[in-house]
Amino acid sequence: MTPTTVNVTIDGTPVEVPPGTTILQAAQTLDTPIPTLCYDDRLDAFGACRVCLVGVEGAPGPLPSCTTPCRDGMVIDTRDATARRVAGAVVELVLSELPTAPAPHTELAAVARELGVTGTRWPGVEHVEDHDQRHPYLAFQHELCISCGRCVRICDEVQGTFALTAVGRGFESNVAAGLDQGFRDSACVSCGACADTCPTDAITELALMLLEPEPVLEEVK
Amino acid sequence: MSSKNLVELIRRHHELDAPTALEVLKVAVDDHGTVTDDDRRVAAERSGVPEAFVHGVSTFYDDLLQPRGKRHIRVCTGTACFAATGDAHVDALRAGLGLELGTCRDDGEVSLAETVCLGFCHSSPAIRDGDLIDAGPGAVERVLAGATVAAEEPAPVSTLERPVLTEPTDWSGLRRALTQSTPEQLLEDVKAAEVRGRGGAGFPAGNKWQFARGAQGDEKFIVANGDEGDPGSYIDKVLMEASPELLLEGMALAGYAVGASHGFVLTRSEYPRSKPALEQAAADARAAGLLGDDILGSGFSFDVTIVEGAGSYVVGEETALLACLQGLRGVVSARPPVPAERGVFGLPTVVNNVETLSNIPFIAREGAEAYRALSPGATPGSKLVCFNERFQRPGVYEVRFGVTMRELCEDLAGGLRDGRSIKALQIGGPLGGILPGHKLDTPFDFADLAAEGCMVGHGGILAFDDQTNMRDVARHLLHFGADESCGKCFPCRIGLRRAHEMFSNGAPVPRDSLEALLEALELGSLCAHGGGMPAPIRSLLKHFPDELGLDA
Amino acid sequence: MTDQRFDSTVTTTCGYCGVGCRLEAHVRDGRVVSISPAVDGPANLGHTCLKGRFAHQFGRHRQRLTTPLIREGDGFREATWEEALDRIVSELQRVKGEHGPDAIAGLACSRATNEDCFAMTRLMRAAIGTNNIDNCSRVCHSPTSYAMRRSFGMSGATGSFADIDHADAAIIIGANPTEAHPVAGARIKQAALRGMKLVVIDPRRIELAEYGVLHLSPRAGTNAAVVLGLQHVVMRDGLIDADFIARRTEGYGALTELLDQYDPAEVERISGVPTADLEAAAHIYAEAGEACLIWGLGVTEHKYGSETVQLICNLALLTGKVGRRGSALLPMRGQNNVQGSSDVGALPDTYAGYRSVGDEDVARAFEAKWGVPLSREKGYTTPKMFDAAIGGRLKAMYIFGEDPAQTDPDTHHVVRALESLEFLVCQDIFLNETTKYADVVLPAATFLEKEGTFINAERRIQLVSPAMEPPGEAKTDLEILMTVSRMLGHEMGYTCAEDVMDEIAALTPDFAGVTYERLGRHGLQWPVAPDGTDAPILYEREFDLPGGKGHFAPLPYRPPGSEPSDEFPLVLVTGRRLMHYNAGTMTRRTGNLDLFPNDVLEIHPEDAERLWIGDGDLVSVRSPVGRIEVEAHVTDTIERGHVFTAFHFPEVRTNALIGQSVDVNTECAEFKVMAVDVRPVQEAPSRTPALAAGD
Repeated sequence: MTPTTVNVTIDGTPVEVPPGTTILQAAQTLDTPIPTLCYDDRLDAFGACRVCLVGVEGAPGPLPSCTTPCRDGMVIDTRDATARRVAGAVVELVLSELPTAPAPHTELAAVARELGVTGTRWPGVEHVEDHDQRHPYLAFQHELCISCGRCVRICDEVQGTFALTAVGRGFESNVAAGLDQGFRDSACVSCGACADTCPTDAITELALMLLEPEPVLEEVK
Repeated sequence: MSSKNLVELIRRHHELDAPTALEVLKVAVDDHGTVTDDDRRVAAERSGVPEAFVHGVSTFYDDLLQPRGKRHIRVCTGTACFAATGDAHVDALRAGLGLELGTCRDDGEVSLAETVCLGFCHSSPAIRDGDLIDAGPGAVERVLAGATVAAEEPAPVSTLERPVLTEPTDWSGLRRALTQSTPEQLLEDVKAAEVRGRGGAGFPAGNKWQFARGAQGDEKFIVANGDEGDPGSYIDKVLMEASPELLLEGMALAGYAVGASHGFVLTRSEYPRSKPALEQAAADARAAGLLGDDILGSGFSFDVTIVEGAGSYVVGEETALLACLQGLRGVVSARPPVPAERGVFGLPTVVNNVETLSNIPFIAREGAEAYRALSPGATPGSKLVCFNERFQRPGVYEVRFGVTMRELCEDLAGGLRDGRSIKALQIGGPLGGILPGHKLDTPFDFADLAAEGCMVGHGGILAFDDQTNMRDVARHLLHFGADESCGKCFPCRIGLRRAHEMFSNGAPVPRDSLEALLEALELGSLCAHGGGMPAPIRSLLKHFPDELGLDA
Repeated sequence: MTDQRFDSTVTTTCGYCGVGCRLEAHVRDGRVVSISPAVDGPANLGHTCLKGRFAHQFGRHRQRLTTPLIREGDGFREATWEEALDRIVSELQRVKGEHGPDAIAGLACSRATNEDCFAMTRLMRAAIGTNNIDNCSRVCHSPTSYAMRRSFGMSGATGSFADIDHADAAIIIGANPTEAHPVAGARIKQAALRGMKLVVIDPRRIELAEYGVLHLSPRAGTNAAVVLGLQHVVMRDGLIDADFIARRTEGYGALTELLDQYDPAEVERISGVPTADLEAAAHIYAEAGEACLIWGLGVTEHKYGSETVQLICNLALLTGKVGRRGSALLPMRGQNNVQGSSDVGALPDTYAGYRSVGDEDVARAFEAKWGVPLSREKGYTTPKMFDAAIGGRLKAMYIFGEDPAQTDPDTHHVVRALESLEFLVCQDIFLNETTKYADVVLPAATFLEKEGTFINAERRIQLVSPAMEPPGEAKTDLEILMTVSRMLGHEMGYTCAEDVMDEIAALTPDFAGVTYERLGRHGLQWPVAPDGTDAPILYEREFDLPGGKGHFAPLPYRPPGSEPSDEFPLVLVTGRRLMHYNAGTMTRRTGNLDLFPNDVLEIHPEDAERLWIGDGDLVSVRSPVGRIEVEAHVTDTIERGHVFTAFHFPEVRTNALIGQSVDVNTECAEFKVMAVDVRPVQEAPSRTPALAAGD
């Protein structure tokens, strides 16, 4: 028989959640912030960014909180040193692939600040600038894409238009609309959900690109 | 789990006998050498997968990406070929054809592409010219001269008195199960036999079956993972091509135990003979009443569909395999849900390796005890291993667990040819650790190898001889790792690229940042690809630090 | 961290369709520079469409009205507020003095707030002294309101959008939510992909049909026959909820007799829907544990639209699928506040809460509050206003935020009416087809510039908050209406929009517990009890009719007002496009125009071939009352014998084709069925449509 609730401890605080609740969701009920880049609570958990890692007593290594369901008796440490170290390294890797620092208002910049990441130990090849501004409202800045899949998933799981896809493989992964026709000539219905969920402005509102730039905070890149 | 919505759209179209998007695209590329937007539109229309996703699929698989001329030559850059020539065969072909990898001559006559790996590791280097695979000394010259010949296939050899995997089956395991066992009893037998998955992870097969059997679903599926992508392994190739009926019988037995009436085998496009061999065997079995409706009058029905992949290593991972099977991009999904809960078409699915399933007929026929007795005091059952071209007697052998690596390498495979000595072994695929030549007394079993940072993996035993530069090995492995990353999880997508850059940019490798990167890969990655690639690099750091060009 | 790109962010409610998305309006330098969905919006759940999110630049379009205008010859001259208001007041007083208050009529705006609309009713009822007030629900969902009040008791959805997430099946009739109500459409599509069995009944193969299990494509105007057929099968196959019928309904006996006539064969003869499909649809609906019925203007804008809605209600009563989570009847209300403008009494026959103007107690309560005597006589509906204008009985109109010369049927008739008036005031944000006939035009505010409330299609009252100031001399509608009223001698005494809602709450039982504080971020679904408890689901225990019983309506199928003939062989159906909204006043002044620059006439390939029409050809569309020219789009998503276009573009003037046929109970125009003749235009096209037939 399935138990009706599951009891876990998060950073020393006990919490009772329904079965199937993930560690991230349980932490949210306690207002315990766990940084993430690929999570959006309008969407199914994806488990790509590996930034939401936490320590769980008895586990061989850090676990992704977004895809790990709470099990009765779990003792969870969201500040676990190894988990934070690996999460920080992942954000460093992400910064290393972008040709420019993330704009301060973006989720990526916020996550970097939260994890104290200011640069990268692994400089290397970066994404090449590639802009598409054919649509009246939505713009692609492909070089800022970190393949979190949020745009593709929100177009699928919320809007149901399936206009976006991941393309390529490995480091060359990116996103495209339709048969790489841009928003304008694909099935896109211009709902803007992709721009709304994008954590880096790889998809953004054209009007916002034209606004005065924000002061760039020095600690990021 | 791929997008629920996409899987649902695919399920609805599958009910109408629609092909998958990948199938349509493969036909297109076979027909005219490249995927056009019109092909993508047709694939979307026929498969029910939205156009954008078809576009995504068409940019994922090697077979759909590489331009093809009338004569399409694919050179194997797998680890066995690398160990044999240090990639000299690749350079020779490039020079001889006047083509870079991944290009086609302007007149469309000839194209050259890279492929990993063709499964002719016993006879490197291997080159595929159209559907003909040539291998071994002189292969490059023959291909350049337009005189390609088909290389010989190895015949598997068993060291056991009662072979499990190297002899044809008479289907008596299935006959016996259908007449004398209930599905529950068969499941109990498989659990009692303690069959561990032969694909690499070593997960107990009986547990997977039990979970799938108990899962809710109108329909259930058995999937045989024939995507043997490990460079240096050709075990499943031999099983699928030399004794395909053993696999089919194993699948039918799994279906009986789990409550599934349909199975899929995913084969590799790098093994062009696998799919036809399995289809022929399935046709024969259907004709003999061993597959299809109401098998042997038992009321149990089971049939199979053979699906061929399109060139992606990570598709060997079970969630990526299911995505590929449904015609989607072969990317890994986070678990839960596990395939036993939500697999093909979102329904409960058992995914087992080809070799794992090929073990089942023996258990059904002889019982769990007989199976356990094959490897006394070690992991139950037998294991197929294979050796690369560097050995005197390369080939596929059925062995007991628990024998030492020395017995395998020296007694069975005869040591290295040309008077060379074993500098190191990579066991179990590219994610396996590297065992230095002085540790050959390590027993071949899960725990013993793990203690040395190595693994049984899928059973490939690949020797690097004394002339191999280990920094080149690191670069070779990381090139493969970065190239084959599916691109889903961030550590693997970016980290393997960075690790490869460290070993290929000519600069000294900073050890601290390498170690930090390996940690991020190992602890952060979503699947065993990013998580496993650090293992051989760590072995190299441990055993061959001086050769790696680390900074002071 | 706050987003440094913006000076402030204001949470408000979308001013486009009836879904009622909650929005975050981001302001910089006094202008809304971006809009994003409120993640906690109960109707939109963090989503919105391209209209709500992007189509807001119209507010600062160069054509925006920023000063009052007074007619001078063929054009207008700019005027001061003082001059414009003096002119309005003196003309209205003159007309009232010479012809009585009933010679004046007002149209309230279903895009404006409840507070604006309530003030408009008070202007007409108290300051002028007439019940000649209507709103544009007349031409959309007045049949729904009429029918649901008769079948169940209240004029509104029986449940909420959230019910879609809990339904095992749903039938959508005459609605195209993925274009007209995109956020609700997306939600329905997700539900269908999750396994909700969706049946679409529509002569167009709308996008949702691709995700449903069944698409019935009846001939336009035969919805009633299909719905009767569904009931016939439900009854014939023993799928009724006998216990529910016995305990909670009246009139079943008369219905069963009627239903006998509508066997599937008969329904197929009338509608063209195959017997097997009709039977399958009935079983899907009736056998589902929970099921929703969703409809739109494809049901209502017919000669017997209101009766068809009553028949839809019958279906729910027969199967007991009402008043439970997952079993809701959801009319897709067209405009952001078409529910609210009617709820607060912008109708010629009812005060707020659908209480008759003839109800003595109610009228007295309003008289006590407003301190003036009020008429007990029903006023003119919109079509009656135009008739009265042409007939010389109506002399002046005050049209607030509507453009009947574009949106109402039979454009020629409307224009004649407007030309017949002695005095016409328009209060709007842009000049439009109607202002061409105005004497005074007042510059008003958009939804991003004012405070108040909207009520969405699930009866949810939600706050509207100003994110920026009206431009130039433009003023909020409430301020304008209060000023006109004051100058006419009736001081409303409100200091802000909240005061208006407090008055509505005090005078209206359904709004008794409504306060702005309680509305908060998530709003309340009326009826709201004095303690603030709201009602996501209606009729859980009883219907709001005498005895608490739901009423079966034994209404037969009757043919539409317009039927194809030799001269007019095709049936024109009109509707909306995703990119545009209604008259297009707003969307045509945004980037949406770039995405959908001109309208097309959809026509089936077989019809196109027969008529020598190619994709992209300019065609002439002629009905008995008008003719237009438009580009053809050949597509098999429309049923043979039908053509489709929208009415967003004044240069197309689609409504010039629509005749005088109206719903028998509510006078809602029959926009969805018009027999037309379509043929290629041979010579160089003139985009100017002719208004009269036969030229």
